[in-house]
Amino acid sequence: MRTPRRLFGYRNASLAAGGSKAGAVARITIRQQMAYKTDFIMRASFLLMILYVFVQLWSAAYDGDHARIINGYTLKQIIWYLVFTEAITMGVPALCGIIENEVKSGDIAVRLIRPLSYVGYHYAAYLAEAVFRFFVHLAVGSAIAWLCVGPPTFGMGWAGLFSLTFGAITVAFVLNMIVALCAFWVEETRGMEFVLHKLQFTVGGMLLPLDLMPEPLRRICVWLPFQAMLYFPARTAVNIDAAPIAEQFAIQAVWILLLGALVMWMYKRGVSRLHVNGG
Amino acid sequence: MSTEANAWEESGPASSWISRCAGTMSFLLTCWKVNLAAAMEYRMSFFLMAGMMFINNFMWLFFWSLFFGRFQVVNGWELNDVMMLWAVTAGGFGWSNMLFGNFTRIAPIVSSGQLDVYLSQPKPVLLHVLASRMSLTAVGDFVFGLVVYALAGNHSLTGLLLFLLGLLISGTLFIGVITLAGCLAFFIGNADGLAQQMFNSFVALSSYPSDIFKGMAKTLLFTLIPAGMISYIPIGLLRGIEYDFAWKAAAATLVFGMAAMLAFKLGLKRYASGNAITLRG
Repeated sequence: MRTPRRLFGYRNASLAAGGSKAGAVARITIRQQMAYKTDFIMRASFLLMILYVFVQLWSAAYDGDHARIINGYTLKQIIWYLVFTEAITMGVPALCGIIENEVKSGDIAVRLIRPLSYVGYHYAAYLAEAVFRFFVHLAVGSAIAWLCVGPPTFGMGWAGLFSLTFGAITVAFVLNMIVALCAFWVEETRGMEFVLHKLQFTVGGMLLPLDLMPEPLRRICVWLPFQAMLYFPARTAVNIDAAPIAEQFAIQAVWILLLGALVMWMYKRGVSRLHVNGG
Repeated sequence: MSTEANAWEESGPASSWISRCAGTMSFLLTCWKVNLAAAMEYRMSFFLMAGMMFINNFMWLFFWSLFFGRFQVVNGWELNDVMMLWAVTAGGFGWSNMLFGNFTRIAPIVSSGQLDVYLSQPKPVLLHVLASRMSLTAVGDFVFGLVVYALAGNHSLTGLLLFLLGLLISGTLFIGVITLAGCLAFFIGNADGLAQQMFNSFVALSSYPSDIFKGMAKTLLFTLIPAGMISYIPIGLLRGIEYDFAWKAAAATLVFGMAAMLAFKLGLKRYASGNAITLRG
């Protein structure tokens, strides 16, 4: 007969084993990322170009006036806000393509026989890649923003950015995973991924902080998960005094729980109807 | 052989040139017909991809409408101008990618040795390569361009002709500049990443109002990276013809088109076939 103590012992050992496997997946993913230096340079140069365009656009909108405040944002805050949203967006790996290819090619069979949760495996790999890429893009973006609008004197805003970015990347994971798991039912998920990205760009606040949007649209955005991915960390970083930090953490946690439950439900339903030939 | 020589003597070089042009035109029409038939084979995927691109472009307009909702005029540009910018850019990119869809893939075609199949056929190589593919998403771009023109454009005959001229300039510039970037593969080997980067940057730069740029950046956009020649069309051509801009845009289109053809011709002399066996799908 198993005692509760032994039961907890098994549970702890199982969690530790799962954690160590996830850690190994994360390490391998980072090594893989380090191998594609050219790819990184290309992405970084594109980010530089895009941010340069944004600096020009917003400088024109503000008439080059660094002291002007529009809906709580100075030109400097807007540019740094865009650096943070771009760093998160470009940090997020293309999960849908990976899972769609695994399902189509049958490679998913290899993943399913491994002693590691399928969703957990992808989360570990995703998190490692996203965090790594986020910091690279943040460094590149910071260079151009620093040159154009001055240093990021945001004090505790940085702590807000880093702490909310973890939740933001996780929200992005569950959103992308929901679309990616549709590959169990439909052949092509790229279209849905496309729409998801566009929602992040607009109602997620990637290109324009929600504070600058019309009031009716802002009211709708509040009820959507996209703000938790980009708007929360970037707004908190540039304007920590105006950001309800505890509320933002709570909203992120609620979305992660809700969407995470949906991911697990979809995975269980999807994998039970999967027939793999080859792989 | 002797019959051909006699025909040449009888009809003269002008007639021969006309018949060659007619032959090439008929070849192009066949290419486009086959490309369309291939796209229609996967009809659902075709409409899905085209529809997604339409939505993508629409989302950008949504962003611009929010932006101009906050700032009514930015350096002389209004929402209507940006809408026409997207009509010209997406429309031009759309038709060029529908009819000459391989211009975005010159670098991978060259670096992977897939040119062999075109070299072995008695047709102009560059034209053949370009017309051998139709981009599915480009249909969405082209339709988007027309829809935005219908919504925000000048519907008089002059307005329509100027819009069509804008489409011609933007599409031809896209083909010229991006083909030129792809030709780098002849000279530096694996240029896929670099060509892709230049493609992305050129498309991105051509979709922002040219007047937000100043100084050196603006000069570059109207010379070496002629994205400004596309992005200024709503102001320099559609709002009212600025003849100074119009002839410069036409000249840039011609120069980049010729440069692309020359680079491809020079590149072909350096091209070394691999041993890959390729077939056209």
